[in-house]
Amino acid sequence: MPTIFILYVKVIDKITDIIGRITMYTVFAMMAILVLSFVTRNIINFPLLWIIEMAQFIMTGYYLMGGAYSMKENQHVRMDLVYGSFSEKNKARMDLFTSIFLIFYLIVLLIGSYNSLVYTLETKKTLFSAWRPYVWPISSIMFTGILLMILQTVSIVFKDYAKVKGIKI
Amino acid sequence: MLAEYFSYEAIAILMFATMILMLLTGQRVFGAIGFVAAAAALLLWGNGAVEMPFTASWKLFKWYPMLTLPLFIYMGYMISESGIANDLYKMFHVYFGGTRGGLAIGTMLMMVAISAMNGLSVAGMAVGATIALPEMLKRNYDKRMISGVVQAGSSLGILIPPSVVLVLYGMIARQPVSKLWLAGLIPGLIMATLFILYIYIRCRLQPELGPVLPEKERKMPLIDKIKLLRAGIIPFFIFFVMTGLFIMGIASLVECSAVGALAATVAAWSKGRLNLKVIEDVCKKTLGVSCMFMWIILAALCFGAVFDGIGASKAIESLFIERWNLSPWGVLIMMQLSYILMGMFLDDTAMLVIVAPLYVPLIIALGFDPIWYGVLYTITCQIAYMTPPFGYNLFLMRAMAPKEITLIDIYRSIIPFVLVMLFGLIIMMRFPQIALWLPTTILG
Repeated sequence: MPTIFILYVKVIDKITDIIGRITMYTVFAMMAILVLSFVTRNIINFPLLWIIEMAQFIMTGYYLMGGAYSMKENQHVRMDLVYGSFSEKNKARMDLFTSIFLIFYLIVLLIGSYNSLVYTLETKKTLFSAWRPYVWPISSIMFTGILLMILQTVSIVFKDYAKVKGIKI
Repeated sequence: MLAEYFSYEAIAILMFATMILMLLTGQRVFGAIGFVAAAAALLLWGNGAVEMPFTASWKLFKWYPMLTLPLFIYMGYMISESGIANDLYKMFHVYFGGTRGGLAIGTMLMMVAISAMNGLSVAGMAVGATIALPEMLKRNYDKRMISGVVQAGSSLGILIPPSVVLVLYGMIARQPVSKLWLAGLIPGLIMATLFILYIYIRCRLQPELGPVLPEKERKMPLIDKIKLLRAGIIPFFIFFVMTGLFIMGIASLVECSAVGALAATVAAWSKGRLNLKVIEDVCKKTLGVSCMFMWIILAALCFGAVFDGIGASKAIESLFIERWNLSPWGVLIMMQLSYILMGMFLDDTAMLVIVAPLYVPLIIALGFDPIWYGVLYTITCQIAYMTPPFGYNLFLMRAMAPKEITLIDIYRSIIPFVLVMLFGLIIMMRFPQIALWLPTTILG
């Protein structure tokens, strides 16, 4: 296996790891602003305008930026009726084949998110609410998350290929 | 271009068939569903549909209540790490160990308590597989029965409030979550009672399934016995601050999930279980499970949008009512049956997102109560989660259960419990008041 592939796997996995580890702690950010919202609304009677959108932003970033990490950690459920009985090598073979479909879906997602990003940047679109935040920051996070998901999927494809060939990365 | 050659019904069937085939390859569920949806959209409507899969993410963005998902998952893991469950188990061990099958009954009660603190079946499953199963195995309980107890018991997590499935249903059916949660409470308790009755009767008839605990294991001074009851305080407290504040209208839905997550963290801290390792572990698992669900929902939303585009809702209506000439009840029963059947082979979360928008308008048009249907839907969902070959609970159980419990054990263990659940489902269908009494009494 050419060194460039091995290097790719190492670099992408590292990036995925770092981003995943940061992303996983944003659950505390969601918790914090929602508890804050509860307190300000009920106790000091001062509702904050930005809470809902902010929480939505973090939530969207959470699962899109976390997607690649959950891929790397193999957290996605599969239907293992047939697949489960395969040997490790055959599992890798099957994945190599079916990754084509997965990557197809992810690329369609990426095109959509790219168009959306360009649109929100060009029109300086804001959300329709009292706070009126710009949409492009979240569009760019969505785009990055999906891109990272593709890069990670390709890394898994390389790893599966190595497994089939019996090479250790 | 696809539409030129096939009728819309044929396309719908083709999409389902491709989805099943894709799932069988063992590719990740979200990838399989997303691919079928994206490919169908492109084939049906050409390049203009290229943005359809991504549009689903904006829909998900606007589903504000989805925020409860990661927070409830976090809470579930935090509770299973916090030692609350260990205390609960110890309490039931001492109090129920003396009856035949008592530990299994105790485990079921523990599952009810966990379900009242959590919106998914993950927490109950984790606690059941790591705490209750090993203990019961050690005491020669029948492994097939207890594996069923944990699976059926943990599935109550989505029926007894809080419930993420009912949140999802509420968004799709546009019904208030507060009513749905209250509607799930009594059916959930009835379901638990039915399970307990089943265990009790079964162990009366076959005492070897659940042997009585030896006296010395349960003997302790009365004062210690009373002290054990403290295990119940934290679950009550968490249930109150979370579901209570929400039902009373003080906290909004997402706020209550955040308050609950905080309460679970504080509970773990107060028991001296909170450290960096636990926090990291919980956050990591939460991210993994949340991402899994969110990506499946994302893909399923696109699939649903394609279905909507080809008018599947109308097609089902005409199939059930015009072609098969079914009565309203016939339609309802067909829906439940088809859902259980599809739930066996397809991913259940995805089913919820794809099928609910097709069924709910029809239910309302036929004059049924959508709140009540939400409860039926959730019970069906519980069954679907447990039935092989594909079920999320099965998947979790395989990953977490002790090694002695084989796949065959897991598959066979659910049979009696699924029958009990079907019985429960029929009761809830026949007597809608069971579900509707509490929400009408409290919320009007």
